[in-house]
Amino acid sequence: MPTFRTHFSYEALLELRSSYTCSSVKTDSKFTQQELPACKPILTPKWVISVFVLVGVIFVPIGVASLRASQQVVEIVDRYDDACVPANVTDKLAYIQDKSIQKSCTRTLTVTKDMNQPIFVYYQLDNFYQNHRRYVKSRSDDQLRDKSKAAVTTNCDPEATLNGKPIVPCGLIAWSLFNDTYNLILNNDNLTVDKKDISWKSDREHKFGSDVFPQNFQQGPLIGGKTLNPNVSLSEQEDLIVWMRTAALPTFRKLYGRIHVDLKVNDTITVHLENNYNTYSFGGKKKLVLSTTTWLGGKNDFLGLAYLTVGGLCFFLAFAFTLLYLIKPRKSGDNNYLSWNRPPVGR
Amino acid sequence: MKRLVYINDDSCRYSYCDNRISNTKYTLWNFFPKNLWEQFRRFMNQYFLLIACLQLWSRITPVSPVTTWGPLIIIFIVSASKEAWDDYNRYLSDKKANERNVWVVKDGVRRQIKAQDIHVGDIVWLHENDEIPCDLVLIGTSDPQGICYIETSALDGETDLKPRIVPPISANMSVEQLEKVKGIVECPNPDNDIRRFDANMRLFLPSVDNEKCPLTINNTLLQSCYLRYTEWACGVAVYTGNETKSGMSRGTAEPKLTAADAMIDKLTIAIFMLQIVVVLVLGYFGNIWKHTKGLKQWYLMYPAEGPWYGFLVIPLRFELLCSIMIPISIKVTLDLAKGVYAKFIDWDEQMFDWETNTPAHSANTAISEDLGQVEYILSDKTGTLTENRMIFKRCCINNIMYGNDNGDALKDARLLNAVSSNDPDIVKFLMVMALCNTVVPVKSNDDTVSYKAQSQDEEALVNAASNLNMMLISKDSSTAEICFNGSKFKYELLDVLEFTSDRKRMSVVVKEGQTGKILLLSKGADEAILPRVYPGQQKQRYLEAVEMYSQLGLRTLCLGWRDLEEDEYKEWSKNFQEASCSLENRESKIAEVCDSLERDLHILGVTAIEDRLQDGVPETIKLLRNAGINVWMLTGDKQNTAIQIGLLCNLITSEPNSQLLSISGKTEQDILRSLERALLITKNTCETKDLAFVLDGWALEIILKHSKESFTRLAMLSKTAICCRMTPLQKAQLVAILKSVGYLTLAIGDGGNDVRMIQEANIGVGISGREGLQAARAADYSIGKFKFLKRLILIHGRYSYNRTAFISQYSFYKSLLICFIQILFAFLSGFSGTSLFNSISLMAYNVFYTSLPVMTIIFDKDISETTVLQYPQILLHSQAGRLLNPTTFCGWFGRSLYHALVIFFITICAYADEKSEMQELSMVALSGCIWLQAFVVMMDSNSFTSPQIILIWGNFVAFYMINLILSAVPSLQLYTIMFRLCGQPSYWITMALTVAVAMVPVMAFRYFRNLYWPSPINILQQIEQSNGSIQPSRNVGSALKPARTNLTNLLTGSRGSRGSSYQPLLSDSAESTR
Repeated sequence: MPTFRTHFSYEALLELRSSYTCSSVKTDSKFTQQELPACKPILTPKWVISVFVLVGVIFVPIGVASLRASQQVVEIVDRYDDACVPANVTDKLAYIQDKSIQKSCTRTLTVTKDMNQPIFVYYQLDNFYQNHRRYVKSRSDDQLRDKSKAAVTTNCDPEATLNGKPIVPCGLIAWSLFNDTYNLILNNDNLTVDKKDISWKSDREHKFGSDVFPQNFQQGPLIGGKTLNPNVSLSEQEDLIVWMRTAALPTFRKLYGRIHVDLKVNDTITVHLENNYNTYSFGGKKKLVLSTTTWLGGKNDFLGLAYLTVGGLCFFLAFAFTLLYLIKPRKSGDNNYLSWNRPPVGR
Repeated sequence: MKRLVYINDDSCRYSYCDNRISNTKYTLWNFFPKNLWEQFRRFMNQYFLLIACLQLWSRITPVSPVTTWGPLIIIFIVSASKEAWDDYNRYLSDKKANERNVWVVKDGVRRQIKAQDIHVGDIVWLHENDEIPCDLVLIGTSDPQGICYIETSALDGETDLKPRIVPPISANMSVEQLEKVKGIVECPNPDNDIRRFDANMRLFLPSVDNEKCPLTINNTLLQSCYLRYTEWACGVAVYTGNETKSGMSRGTAEPKLTAADAMIDKLTIAIFMLQIVVVLVLGYFGNIWKHTKGLKQWYLMYPAEGPWYGFLVIPLRFELLCSIMIPISIKVTLDLAKGVYAKFIDWDEQMFDWETNTPAHSANTAISEDLGQVEYILSDKTGTLTENRMIFKRCCINNIMYGNDNGDALKDARLLNAVSSNDPDIVKFLMVMALCNTVVPVKSNDDTVSYKAQSQDEEALVNAASNLNMMLISKDSSTAEICFNGSKFKYELLDVLEFTSDRKRMSVVVKEGQTGKILLLSKGADEAILPRVYPGQQKQRYLEAVEMYSQLGLRTLCLGWRDLEEDEYKEWSKNFQEASCSLENRESKIAEVCDSLERDLHILGVTAIEDRLQDGVPETIKLLRNAGINVWMLTGDKQNTAIQIGLLCNLITSEPNSQLLSISGKTEQDILRSLERALLITKNTCETKDLAFVLDGWALEIILKHSKESFTRLAMLSKTAICCRMTPLQKAQLVAILKSVGYLTLAIGDGGNDVRMIQEANIGVGISGREGLQAARAADYSIGKFKFLKRLILIHGRYSYNRTAFISQYSFYKSLLICFIQILFAFLSGFSGTSLFNSISLMAYNVFYTSLPVMTIIFDKDISETTVLQYPQILLHSQAGRLLNPTTFCGWFGRSLYHALVIFFITICAYADEKSEMQELSMVALSGCIWLQAFVVMMDSNSFTSPQIILIWGNFVAFYMINLILSAVPSLQLYTIMFRLCGQPSYWITMALTVAVAMVPVMAFRYFRNLYWPSPINILQQIEQSNGSIQPSRNVGSALKPARTNLTNLLTGSRGSRGSSYQPLLSDSAESTR
């Protein structure tokens, strides 16, 4: 058989020819004939203006509610990185790196508004790149979950092994664990900061093994952050679990604990803190945050303001389009607007 | 140059290849490397391979290598298996042909061997209905006259039977002699010309003198034809395997690239450039950050001394991060969409020709978009515009015109009376009609005679003659029998002076059986016959008749005859034999000899044959021209007839609205001068006037030789042209000229003479018509009738273009969207090349989440089919590439940048501080992309059908389902993330905000534009909406009349700004920016 260019498709054509009978035509014909019923919405003034009004009507109340929620949140923020270095220290970096100095520091906070429990205690770091590529990958999830996989430290360099033995937990994230501590005193009474359940339950149960214990951690020549008690399993090391949930942004807060006491306005809280963590080398800020929470989370005016802006904009657009439509009505779908029906201009 | 074939001789049989046919592209061994090589010739594949290889370097890869390797391997496997399947099928069909059993004579014994084992020089024995296995020279048949019939439809698509004759030298040989015959055939080296075989043969026989006998194509049996109506035939194999004429004419067609594809390639390269710039800039920033800030971030533990290639690491990371800018899925998505467009064409019932039961078929699935951008249609006339169903309508005999009153000479009482009264002129006239042809009468069982003819005209003439009682009863190679008014006459057929397109006439020399008189009977075109009359013959009346008939669009032939003296014939016959034997320039030598005989003719009369216009042709041409498509007619017919057909089918209008410029002349100078004049007139004429030029093949030949440039300029200015007397090559040349200046051409034809033009054009359309299926086979699309062309172009072409424009730009949009988010994230992650999204999300985003909704656009219709057909001018929109060009792409680019900014900033603001957990934030941003893309597809769909709604929102639901399932797998990074997010009110509020901020400006802008600067599409949509359904009466009238004139302006105006094809053709400036 000679084969011409369209030989095979041509056979198909002949086949089609023979199989094409009246009865087979009608099956699925709506689909094959591209005649499926369709609705064709068009941006008519009525439709567009009502959509904008509708969006406005929905968005403004949500904006108001979000903004109110955000306003209800009481938040006390105290930056202590500079204040906690004695005034006479000129080289802050040397100061923080000197292990021999006891770096305790006392801060006093005044409650500006009544705060209902639970009150969340956060630490906030600025200019800290937990999302850096070198950093974010430097961990071994297998090792954290499974006792038998302690040796899986592929991504953990340069904190993978110590003298040939695997470090658990390995990697830069665990190594640089935040190690400032806070003791809160309310009107001379000790204020308990509950450090239970500050991490995600799912992490404790499935990501960090209850039979995995720290090994060779912070034993190397360079000590990064906090040391871990080698007798406590990783699933109970909640500070570590919180820290290992890396932040996506260079400014972030991490939960330190909760206070189960209501605070009254003008209460004074004294914070005894140990200022161990080094943010001085890269000029990062450290802040202590006490905050209540609402259905929308912590204090964040953004959503409320954005909703109000969008709602307002929609109302404005609806109004403007209505006005425009009244002032300069234009018949939609007029044959005369078709370019080939218009006299050619400027030719 | 020459090949010597020793008949039935084993000594030299192995110097030529055996008869194994191979059409396969690959072998088992070279498939893998060759196919890989072919695939890697594409820029995109090279690019993705590079990316995939870079990803293997774990130091720089932001995501798992699977994200690129997976899709890449899938794409490769899909296209490789398609190729393999096609090639396997080819292999199977080759194998079937190769292993067929054939009878071959060896050493005087007939034996059965496999077809692949035939060698040059073997004698092959064929039986009735056998397929001919290789090219043979016929040496014997069962027919005592030495005739056999073959069907050549597989070779040239012609379905009629063709007679083949045993060369005289071997005629009258017995079967025993044939089995033992020895000799030499001297033939040219293999070529692909299926109409020529200039060879000669010498047989070593004791009884025959050792004389060279000439061979022509009529003595051959070509491979892939079938033997019919002949008990057996035998021949000498001269060409075998892939060296046969059909094997040599098999060409692999270059894959065609559509204009839209070319634009997509350009955009891809532009994006690639952008990517390089982004990579360099971010890489630079990254290295700066590393050295100024990074080294101070103690927790990153940057080593003081990095490796020497350290400065490359960050740029390469960004290269990998940005590699998703070029969507890996675009080719697969587009191929899939194009496949569906092609299916829609195949399925279209409105393009189904119920008369012949032919559906439309697209053999080439890749070029549907081009249909919507066609600018020039070059159409054949006979069989394409006309039905190619020839009917004898009128004649002029002896200065009397028959058939003038009722339009049908066969019913003209005067003619019928003249026939029954044996009017000698009329009898002669009918005799020429019946004898001067190559028609084969086939007697069926019930004694009725039907005619098989190569030429439709001859068939019409013979049929008409038999209706007028002049029946051609039987015919073989040397005798013919006719029956007139009941009495039979025998004629001896002495010679046939064949028709060629140069001679434009054919003649036969016959000897009357009873009287022994020798007659020359001729028929041909008027310009070929009338100059050859004897001096003194009145031809004025015939010229008038010809003129009048062609005015009516009828095809005319002049018939003539003359007595030959015995001596004159004998002398001429000798010359003729000599010319027929020559190996070189045979055709022109024969023409010269024939010329010497065909003179001093007595004109008998003129016949007029009607070839009716196909149904719906004028309307279709009018519609296509309103759509801004220029239609040219290229025909082999003569000028007057062509012009008449042109008038009848709306191609040209009569004065004063239009002017016909004729380019003609007696000398080369005349022609060139008239070309310049035509060009001048065309340039200076008022634009409302339709100008068309007419030229013939001879003029074209001279013009192409001397003044191609002026002609190209004229071609660009002319909306209409009629080119007559075109050879197949010239048709293809005209297509090439238009293509060379950047026009998108569509060639449509039905016969073998259109194949070259069809293959040359951007789009070839074949009409599966009466001249066989050859054109339909070579074409990209085949349709049953010319009128289906309007649906093919205006409906399928236009929709395909619109859809491809959307799919391709959307594919870039979604890739850019996610890539911009990654780039923005680089600013917050110390330019370190962290990926915000995890590998699973990235892969699923490209392959799954975004590829399904966009496919819904293949159901989209911006305006209904009725509206398109009513306002065909809308085609200008897609013709000018208004929906896919750098400007519209900038719109999409801007939109993706804006949407990326919206998603990114809303996400980082809403999920700041204590919420800024990496996985959560990443999922919020990804959800934002998914929400937006659903709304973008919604916004840009023009119509919603149920599959569209199901796919868009089903995909949306699927996204949540998949991520909820993934969130339940503890080992994944995504574990619990989606559950947590779905439980947070702030997540849903953030999503709604993202959609509103992203879509409100788009919608406002679009509304504003639709209302105040509407594009024609918008207006038509509004018209549709307001009318419900359009009232044809009012709109068509008002829309089309002024449209004609203004369109002229627009079109001619746009010619100046050619080159940037996307510039607005329509006079408004509403761009399709979004």
